[in-house]
Amino acid sequence: MLVPGARTGALRARALPAQPRGGIGGVFGDPPERLAVATTTTAAALPHAGAHAEPRGLAAWLTTVDHKRIGLLYGVTAFVFFLVGGVEALLIRLQLAFPDGRVVSAERFNELFTMHGTTMVFLALMPLSAAFFNYLVPLQIGARDVAFPRLNAFSYWVFLLGGLFINSGFLYGAAPHAGWFGYATLTEKPFSIGPHTDLWLVGLLLLGTSTLISGLNFLITILNLRAPGMSFLRMPMFTWTTVVTSLLIILAFPPLTVALILLLFDRFFGTSFYLPAGGGSPVLWQHLFWIFGHPEVYILILPAMGIVSEVIPTFARKPLFGYVAMVYATALIGFFGFGVWAHHMFAVGLGPIADSAFSLASMIIAVPTGIKIFNWLSTAWGGALRLRTSLCFAFGFIAMFTIGGLSGIMHASPPVDLQQTDSYFVVAHLHYVLFGGTVLGLFAGIYYWWPKMTGRMLDERLGQLHFWLMLLGMNLTFFPMHFLGLMGMPRRIYTYPAGLGWETWNLVATAGAATIGLSILVFLGNALRSAARGPAAPADPWDGRTLEWAIPSPPPAYNFATVPTVLRRDALWLTKHPDARGPGLADAAALVSGREPIHMPPPSAWPILTASAMLVLSVGALVHEVVVGLGAALTIAGVFAIALEHLPARAVPAGGHEAIHIGTTGLDHRKMAMWAFLGSECLFFGTLISTYLVYKGRSLSGPTTHEILNIPLTSFSTFDLLMSSLTMVLAVAAIQRGDTRATQRWLLATVLLGLVFLGGQVYEFNQFLGEGLGLTTNLFGSTFYVLVGFHGAHVSVGVLWLATLWHLTRRGRIGPGQAVLVDIAGLYWHFVDVVWIAIFTLIYLIQ
Amino acid sequence: MSAQSSEHATEHPQAGPRTYLVIAAFLILLTVMEVAVFYIPALARVLIPLLIFLALAKFGLVAMFYMHLRFDHVWFSYLFVAPLVIATGLAIALLWLLHVFGSTGLRPATGG
Repeated sequence: MLVPGARTGALRARALPAQPRGGIGGVFGDPPERLAVATTTTAAALPHAGAHAEPRGLAAWLTTVDHKRIGLLYGVTAFVFFLVGGVEALLIRLQLAFPDGRVVSAERFNELFTMHGTTMVFLALMPLSAAFFNYLVPLQIGARDVAFPRLNAFSYWVFLLGGLFINSGFLYGAAPHAGWFGYATLTEKPFSIGPHTDLWLVGLLLLGTSTLISGLNFLITILNLRAPGMSFLRMPMFTWTTVVTSLLIILAFPPLTVALILLLFDRFFGTSFYLPAGGGSPVLWQHLFWIFGHPEVYILILPAMGIVSEVIPTFARKPLFGYVAMVYATALIGFFGFGVWAHHMFAVGLGPIADSAFSLASMIIAVPTGIKIFNWLSTAWGGALRLRTSLCFAFGFIAMFTIGGLSGIMHASPPVDLQQTDSYFVVAHLHYVLFGGTVLGLFAGIYYWWPKMTGRMLDERLGQLHFWLMLLGMNLTFFPMHFLGLMGMPRRIYTYPAGLGWETWNLVATAGAATIGLSILVFLGNALRSAARGPAAPADPWDGRTLEWAIPSPPPAYNFATVPTVLRRDALWLTKHPDARGPGLADAAALVSGREPIHMPPPSAWPILTASAMLVLSVGALVHEVVVGLGAALTIAGVFAIALEHLPARAVPAGGHEAIHIGTTGLDHRKMAMWAFLGSECLFFGTLISTYLVYKGRSLSGPTTHEILNIPLTSFSTFDLLMSSLTMVLAVAAIQRGDTRATQRWLLATVLLGLVFLGGQVYEFNQFLGEGLGLTTNLFGSTFYVLVGFHGAHVSVGVLWLATLWHLTRRGRIGPGQAVLVDIAGLYWHFVDVVWIAIFTLIYLIQ
Repeated sequence: MSAQSSEHATEHPQAGPRTYLVIAAFLILLTVMEVAVFYIPALARVLIPLLIFLALAKFGLVAMFYMHLRFDHVWFSYLFVAPLVIATGLAIALLWLLHVFGSTGLRPATGG
């Protein structure tokens, strides 16, 4: 992307930033020509209007890779979904306002509560957090964009299309209807006929892809693109919560993906993973779902905690109390979040030891949460408080989240939980956490950063009205639900008869929901008023502490004219109000008026096109195999297009422009992302292998492992794959020393060995089919084919990847300067190898 | 800044083709041992721990030498090993909760 400078003749190809942090590029890098012509200039007096072929209007938004624009797209889209989810909630409350309600049918009620939960969790709250991540994290860490701008755009488009895909069911009377938790066996074919659940599970797979890519992107961005001097313990708390949230996403979504894939096989191919009639267990779904589901609670709440941690110090004019303790508390919440999932399942009857262990872990997690609450209060205590709307929402967050947390501790006790489970008490609890916590926290962020994002101020009086109406409304809505739950009202019921004593509190709750709706209207009015005639926002309207307040509102495309050098925590605050130890920034004025060369990523249409191809693939799953094939082919083509879009026409010699992918840590973004992805894959294959082991020996009919597994054949396959790892690492060594002919030779050998492995797998599968073991024959067949099949699919992707690298190396388009491309492919290939080592031992040898 | 500079990548000596060939020889040897112990009835009692040990050895050799974790920046190890540990912990917990290590089948819902 061309960033025109005041000195228009100053396009200097060799003037790329000497410092290593300049790495903003695509998956495979930008061509040197583009760098020379279009991306290097000086930053002084940079007007926004592009004097080059920059798309304008709608095209600019469709092809944008700018993190700020993508953040706004996330924000607007997620807010629209928030309104949709809110309307669904209002319809639910109208139906329950009076006994024997007839506002909607029972079937429509099922759809409403299913889509309300699904929409709010996956389409509204998480993406609203993503909006803040996108807009703010690069600004807070002093970067010019995220590590992978085009993947960032791809994530957004997949999210948008996935959201529309799930909601499309309303148009043809087939909206998902089995609950946002999708409990088996409610989601199985016998109990959910039609495309309702298919839409839900395929849609969640789409959304999961988007979220996982986002998580990887933000983790690598923060680890690798921090401004010089911004050590971990100098990062703003919001950035810290983004790190932990990203890690949770990377680790929690793979088990959900596996759970959904198994459900997909049950529904589309007739397996019985969750069907007791075929030996499967619905409880497995609950485990896999909540292994994802509980970290998901922290994925939803941690960003709000980060926002509150920014808002309170600013409006109290004090540093965040116990910053280091807050960092550790955030990390501990994330870590403990993986060890408490079964407290959602006390009613299953896990046994006293399991109940005790998960109860204890659930109570322990209150400790770091309590640390946060006390630290926020201590920050405010004695501060020069300015009760602006943002701070009101932050205080509202603390109070409401604490109430939700306290009822959460009640649920951590199995005997108490058994009385409350599946009652409205639980609905009250989760809404105090997710509405009182997440929604109020997100609104604190909206009021706080609105001036930065839009360049306009919101009206303070309307903001206060919004806050008080929303606080009143949410307490009217959700507090009575505690009473309703204790009076025995089950959740998810369509209607109830008169005379049970539930009438009054249900009516109060409905009135509260209407009040929340009114408060949202006030906010929308405020937003429209701000857009139409809101006063212009200064760069730093709140006397902020973090780097985003050092640059204009809204920020220029390149964010910082000069990349900041951070000297201390709360760098901007200490620059404006230096103490005895001096300012927090090396040269604050240069952030706006500096003159260093800037590299910005150019716009790209491939993210939206590839996301559209994935939509075709998803629609195909519900329509016809031919459409699946078409969608898959288009998706593969799109992935290739993204990967190769900026590959130079000629190989880059050693020390070439690949340096632009190196972050402040001195590490390559792409290699770091591959390692993080492989970490995520550990959870994916770990869950698949666990499923195999859980169902081992539970087949209701033969054949079984010892009757069928062919050890000599798989021993040969193992040997073959191990040798392919050798040839792969020799290819990496060859390209690192600049020997491209040897690189080609070893890459080709690896591809051939991979093909031999796949051939062996096809032969083995054919043998098994001949001996009567099909995908649906028994649980062994189902788990075996899915696990080994997914490994085979990974091998196939690797073969395609390596064949492409071999071809590009032969064509002279990859050289020693791009050795990391072969290195990354090698990491993937070796990972596939080590997964096979585990499969060979656990599946074939330990029978 | 010292904290920052300590995070920077440093040049690490990488293994060469000779090392890779030695590792390949070990991998083949370990695989032969795996298949051999599978067919030796006398080892049936210790088969599972033995096979897991051999698999871990192979896993470790590939990860440390072919994936260069032994030579590369420590962050790569963090990014891979931490999820691996969590995945292993979750798998063990899941197998325990679903009674794979003991009796099969789920307990009836008794209210814990």
